[in-house]
Amino acid sequence: MSETLRARLYHVVLWIVSLIFFSPVAWIILSSFKTRSDILATPPKLIFTPTLDNYVDLFVNNRGFLLQLGNSIILSVTAVVIAVFVSFLAAFCFSRFKPKGTDFLMFLLLSIRMLPGPAVILPVYLMYVAFGWKDNHLAMILFYAMFSIPFSVWILKGFLDGVSTRFDETGRVNGGSWLHIIFRVVLPQVKPGLIAAFIFNIIFVWNEFLFNFIIGGVSTQNIPYALAVGAYSDGGLNWTFISALTSIYILPPVLFIYFFQKYLLVGMTFGTVRGEV
Amino acid sequence: MTADSGGKTGTRFVVPRRTILKGAAVAGLTGAFSAPFINRLKAQESHPLAGQKIDMNILGIAGWLPSSLGVKMSPMFADYVKEKYGYDVTFGFAEAPFADLFQKAATSLATKSQEYNIIISDSQWLGALAKPGWILKLNDIIAKNKNLQLDWYSDTVVNTYMKYPDGSEDIWGLPQEGDTKALYVRKDLVEDPNEQAAFQAKYGMKLPSTFEEYEELDAETYEKIMEFFTRPDQGLWGAAWQYSRVYDFCTCPLLSIMWSRGGDIWDPKTGQVEGILNTDANAQAMELYKSWLKYMPPGATNFGIAEEIDVWTQGKVATCLQWAAVGLAMITPENKDKVLVVPPPKFGKGAEAKRVYCMGGQPWVINAFNDDAKMRVAIDFMNWWYLPETTLEFAKRGGNPTDKATLSSPDFDTINPWNRAYKFMLETGRSRDFWHHPRYSEMLAVQQEGFTSYMTGTTASAKQALDYIACQQQQILYDDGTAATAPSDACSSTSL
Amino acid sequence: MASSPGQSAFKDNRRVIIFALLAPVLAFFIVFNTIPTLWLLGLSFHKFSLLSGMPPEFFGFRNFQDIFRNRNGIWGDLGRTFTFVGVGVLVQTTLGILLGFLFWGSKDMPGRRLALTLLFTPMVLTPVATGTFFRFIYDPTFGVLNALVGWMSPTGTIDFLGNPQIAFWAVLAVDCWMWTPFMTLMTLAALGSVPKAELEAAEIDRLSWPKRVSLVIWHHGKFILMLGILLRTIDSFKTLDLIIPMTKGGPGQTTRLVAVELNKQSFESFNMGWSSAYSVLLLLISIAMTSMFIFILNRRRKGR
Repeated sequence: MSETLRARLYHVVLWIVSLIFFSPVAWIILSSFKTRSDILATPPKLIFTPTLDNYVDLFVNNRGFLLQLGNSIILSVTAVVIAVFVSFLAAFCFSRFKPKGTDFLMFLLLSIRMLPGPAVILPVYLMYVAFGWKDNHLAMILFYAMFSIPFSVWILKGFLDGVSTRFDETGRVNGGSWLHIIFRVVLPQVKPGLIAAFIFNIIFVWNEFLFNFIIGGVSTQNIPYALAVGAYSDGGLNWTFISALTSIYILPPVLFIYFFQKYLLVGMTFGTVRGEV
Repeated sequence: MTADSGGKTGTRFVVPRRTILKGAAVAGLTGAFSAPFINRLKAQESHPLAGQKIDMNILGIAGWLPSSLGVKMSPMFADYVKEKYGYDVTFGFAEAPFADLFQKAATSLATKSQEYNIIISDSQWLGALAKPGWILKLNDIIAKNKNLQLDWYSDTVVNTYMKYPDGSEDIWGLPQEGDTKALYVRKDLVEDPNEQAAFQAKYGMKLPSTFEEYEELDAETYEKIMEFFTRPDQGLWGAAWQYSRVYDFCTCPLLSIMWSRGGDIWDPKTGQVEGILNTDANAQAMELYKSWLKYMPPGATNFGIAEEIDVWTQGKVATCLQWAAVGLAMITPENKDKVLVVPPPKFGKGAEAKRVYCMGGQPWVINAFNDDAKMRVAIDFMNWWYLPETTLEFAKRGGNPTDKATLSSPDFDTINPWNRAYKFMLETGRSRDFWHHPRYSEMLAVQQEGFTSYMTGTTASAKQALDYIACQQQQILYDDGTAATAPSDACSSTSL
Repeated sequence: MASSPGQSAFKDNRRVIIFALLAPVLAFFIVFNTIPTLWLLGLSFHKFSLLSGMPPEFFGFRNFQDIFRNRNGIWGDLGRTFTFVGVGVLVQTTLGILLGFLFWGSKDMPGRRLALTLLFTPMVLTPVATGTFFRFIYDPTFGVLNALVGWMSPTGTIDFLGNPQIAFWAVLAVDCWMWTPFMTLMTLAALGSVPKAELEAAEIDRLSWPKRVSLVIWHHGKFILMLGILLRTIDSFKTLDLIIPMTKGGPGQTTRLVAVELNKQSFESFNMGWSSAYSVLLLLISIAMTSMFIFILNRRRKGR
């Protein structure tokens, strides 16, 4: 009896912790169903008549919304798929062939990630200006892909190191080509790593603002751009817009986390664990 | 290729180089305007773009009503040219908030891109946009288009929105929205007989409640009003002014106080800042402005335009120094009978007292890299914008025109509640703009850091903050070649 | 001979295969990293402003001198940034590990997946929206946090972002709120990597908890945990999009981190020469920091 009570209490504590962390997000979602004057009410209102006006506004009256959402999806999915693919190849190479300078290259890759955004984008911006690549989907996708490569290589190399080379050898002996081994034999074994790399990078690109603002333009604008630009509207800060758009935009990543939680946890073990975490 | 013949006829007119086209277009246009009853068909034929379809992009300021008004009125232009010149034009819009718009425009223009054909620029950016040759110099265009040779309301308009460098005759912009500072006052509070009596009892003077009384209001009396209405227990405070670090929010009111008290910020001819900005008088202006924080709601050190609108529309403050241009947002259906818009207070005593406030507002500027067709549309657009009908429509929708004819018409004062105060402040000498220098953004950033550092108490002394700002700005201007003298030796010891 | 065709092909093609596998990443790397970095390096020795309309002009080390000459310049920014990184990562790691242990034994908890999803939500929220909305939550007049403060002590409101003594910590608190869940995730992963058999053995041996942690868990989990700390350090050093909507580096300079200053100089003032020099300095710092971490990681690996 006291055992179950303790377990219950323990679970209640965990739920409270989760809810505390979630509460600011909940406040945003709650605000998205309020009118402007309900949002600005003092003291803040917990009980109010919910309205869907903010969402109607977004879908019906906001001309840019669909374009921006489309861009967000296209840019993030394409860039990260490309990045994970080429990273897998590179990680396979690093893991199996250990070419000279592997450590150095892995190190260089990581150091790109360390520079603050403006430092990364400054020369790229000047380069894009010189080549006329600004406001171009492909140019943005390739840049985002570059930015997603380092972390993907790191995760995948960990996983590939954990896949025994015996599989490769068996494959070779059975006369399989390298392509066969890489994609049919090894790839399925590092699925958690691929999914983890995909999710972590897509969350970054999904939420990325600065690069989009600087090297993007009218046709490539994404939702974070819209959030930054639309924060001010006629008549002060546009809280209704921000809360409604944020609430919609957070949905896909949250669903990812919910459905792929297992892979996220396994992914972050960098290949040291193969089973459930 | 043959299937493309329709498109080819369309582009045929673009083949002549810009100069030829411009001349022809200008001749056609002035002709069209000098003969209002011209045969429509003939007019269409005379326009080189007739029959074409052109996409234009305007870059405007996000969350800025007058800017979106210009954008919202553009379909009227499309109808106008369709009928008059026989070409189709569609508009696309991009926006960025004040603090980021220059960044957006500059990153695009630096690529010689036509991404934005017409840009609503903030007045202070004229230099930064003109110097690298990104925007079109308008002297020739204006000379050839009668409709653009307007009689502006005052010199202030020309100096703020059109000229760079200061004092030259080079014109780079045309006023889109005129704007000045105005004081928004809670009419229901200042007209309340109980409040009137209480104020009379407390200070032995009448609580100002009319435009005329506020016209004579000096800072000392204004401080009494602020003090009188500061009642935190009722959720009411005396005033909302801007103190935020973002963009020029702290700078605008503070420079206004400095100027009104007789101070200055630099010498545009020699580029000298040191010794002009960092005076004891200006330091006192900063101290005065900081002391007013006690009449503002908590968090006033983060107040910008939007935050002011929030506290004002929620009825938290009795007075608010705000741009005339956001009147539409300040005056909502709920509070429309409770608002009085008046000139902001004077500084100084008696006949000496004066007010010199910061100019706001934005000019149109035209992308210098527009191709011939887009350039032509941009010029047509400018011509249309200053038609009396367009100007009046703009005013009726809540915009602030700047030409003498519209502003002088008898009913202008009553079109919008803030018009009278706006016109009053637009008179020569009552408002001015600060630097139009290309290094504007750097000078502003330093200044904003210094000002807010003092306002929030990080830097203890106003003079110390001013010394720091003056030295940094002197260095920026010296590096740029504008200032003749380098920062003095004393500068090596300045810091925030 | 017939038994090892693969083996010989393996050897013959080794270079070709290595090259083919690495080529895409290398191409990315050269186009989007090497060329821009060289460009950056070159520009750092030039006087170049996009707004002057003039081509770059060779400037020697003047940009670097300018950066260090300013008394309110890079040292203050670096000081604030390292405080931000140090305190932030410390708090996030400590709290994250704590929560990680708390959630470790909750396999049979009802709705565990949902609870963890809610816990992880802060880190997937768009930083631009987070910053803007936290400004609202912190607002002294309308904010919900001050309503709570006022409810507990009616004496006064706290101006979280306007008070220079508090602003920095208020921003840091949001960063911690966003990223503590990440460290929890890493802790859970690290704990998951501990073999169950060893844990069971420890339980049978009746090892005390501190001993279990130091002998068994730490041994297996520290590599993952160190990686988590490394990733947090990297991202924390770059913090920008949270600060811009919240304080823009103010009040005064109190929240001006290196990324904020660089953003201001490069994409507001368009001082490309100066900014390049600043970026080069940051690059050197980054490389130093990364090598330090790699050194620690490698030492761990060799010990494994």
